[in-house]
Amino acid sequence: MAGFFREVARRVFAQELKDSNLASRDESDQYAPQYVMTPTGAKVNRIFLVGTLIEKEDIGTDSEYWRGRISDPTGSFLVYAGQYQPEAAQFLADCELPVFVAVVGKTSTYTTDDGNVLTSIRPESIQEVDEITRDLWVLDTAKQTLERIRAVEAEEDPNSKLAKEHYSTDTDYYRVMVKKAIESLSVPK
Amino acid sequence: MKQTAESIRERFLKLGIDVPMEDIESRLDELITKFKVPSNEAQRSVTNFFLKKYSIPKNEFYVRQAEPQLTKIVDISENGQWANLKAKVVQFWENTHDSISQVGLLGDETGIIKFTEWKNAELPKLEQGESYLFRSVVIGEYNGRFQVQLNKNSSVEKLTEAVEVGSGDFTLTARESELRNIADLVGGHWATVKGKVVQLWENSHESIEQAGLLGDPTGVIKFTNWASSELPDMEEGKSYLLKNIVVNEWDGKAQIQLNKSSSIEELNEDIEVRTSTFTYFGAMVDIQTGSGLIKRCPECKRALVKGACAEHGKVKGEYDLRIKSVLDSGTSTQDVLINRELTEKLVGLSLDSAIAMAADALDPGVVLDKLKHELVGRYYTVNGHKLDRYILADSITPRTSLDRELLDEMLTELEVE
Repeated sequence: MAGFFREVARRVFAQELKDSNLASRDESDQYAPQYVMTPTGAKVNRIFLVGTLIEKEDIGTDSEYWRGRISDPTGSFLVYAGQYQPEAAQFLADCELPVFVAVVGKTSTYTTDDGNVLTSIRPESIQEVDEITRDLWVLDTAKQTLERIRAVEAEEDPNSKLAKEHYSTDTDYYRVMVKKAIESLSVPK
Repeated sequence: MKQTAESIRERFLKLGIDVPMEDIESRLDELITKFKVPSNEAQRSVTNFFLKKYSIPKNEFYVRQAEPQLTKIVDISENGQWANLKAKVVQFWENTHDSISQVGLLGDETGIIKFTEWKNAELPKLEQGESYLFRSVVIGEYNGRFQVQLNKNSSVEKLTEAVEVGSGDFTLTARESELRNIADLVGGHWATVKGKVVQLWENSHESIEQAGLLGDPTGVIKFTNWASSELPDMEEGKSYLLKNIVVNEWDGKAQIQLNKSSSIEELNEDIEVRTSTFTYFGAMVDIQTGSGLIKRCPECKRALVKGACAEHGKVKGEYDLRIKSVLDSGTSTQDVLINRELTEKLVGLSLDSAIAMAADALDPGVVLDKLKHELVGRYYTVNGHKLDRYILADSITPRTSLDRELLDEMLTELEVE
């Protein structure tokens, strides 16, 4: 790989991210980015999501450490912001609930004692947005998830193959998820 | 090789010795063809051989050579060769480097050639139109063309008798370059192009007269017209014939430069430009440092870093608004530069109110915060020209409605299964 490139912010629904437990990192390089491979083959390091911030709590002991729960049509994401994410922490401290938010952040995984893998998000940015932005994100994410589902079914690229191998992905299950997500949009206004 | 042989023979003739041509040629041939000796080395070796054969002391031979052996420009044929030549200074070019004192063209009755006089050669200044005897110059090769280099060991002697230079107006004929398509331009060549000025940029440096983009039906290219070219300004939207421009490459991309020997001719036709504008749709995921309310150097318009310009040091800057943003489609990312006019429109914040905001808070960072607050996380469609990794935005529009067609299509696909 030549030089620096910016990690693309992937679009993944909460349900799919919650189902993800395959973390990967190039072991030979301690600075290599860490990825989470999702069941439809999204290789996520950075993520972009828009949803409704429905809960927030300062779970820090010494200094402020904020946890926010952001819901999308399929489930919810957890974001954690402390002293190293001052802008995001400030936002969580000040905002009123519920509110539509757009989050750009990095995913990180944590394996519990009983072997469960939890995926959380460290926000680089949280901004309040309007409803249309949320709808645009749902459609965007639905489209990209559906494209990945098709790729898994066709096993057309290495990520799709790897995802299928690891998760034995039931693509119908994720098609239902996508359908559920976009049905919330199709109601004429 | 024939020439080399002849010149050896001539030199011996001057000493009254008639060396048979076949002898010289066969020796030269053996060295050059069979043993791959460079021809100047071969020449020396063969000369020395005959000196020995006819018992002529070397130093005597070289001293007696009162008149230095002169090379004609047309005969210059080898990289690294030393030469003496009589030539006239035909033209001076733009001096492009600190270590060069003069650069231009020399001519004699047989041709013209580029010359470079290095600063450390410490030679007297040459004058245009004057003729000189150049001793011990080195022939160099650059981009497949020969040039004469004047260095420390060279000497220059002004001649009273002018050297005739080939055909009359031959600086033009010699350097009139081929008309080319913009898409075909590659670095390191001279060219002539016909194109339309698509965009003029804010002048970024005092040594630049104009910079911008020139387009033709095959593509768009960056151009720079140096202030020292003394060429007229071009207007945006008009078409021109640009003769004898230099094409070079920077960061892997070709660009063109107009200098003293270039010319600009306005054309009556309107040249069609292949639209190389890009459209990108994505979410704005980042606004980078250096965005918002910034100060620019009044001299060169560069953005100041900590109140100082990289070129001009500490200066009293001029305020400007701009955004260096990153859009992200979910499968790729795109850097987008948004200028002041678009920024003001997009955020509804004029430069003056931005200045007032910053003054109020005693911190220009509040402007950046506001931009992030208003823009990050939203979806935009941006249109503009691509330059390196950036799109220079001509327009940026927030997406405000769902693509119903796409939605219905997806619903249908999911319904069926």
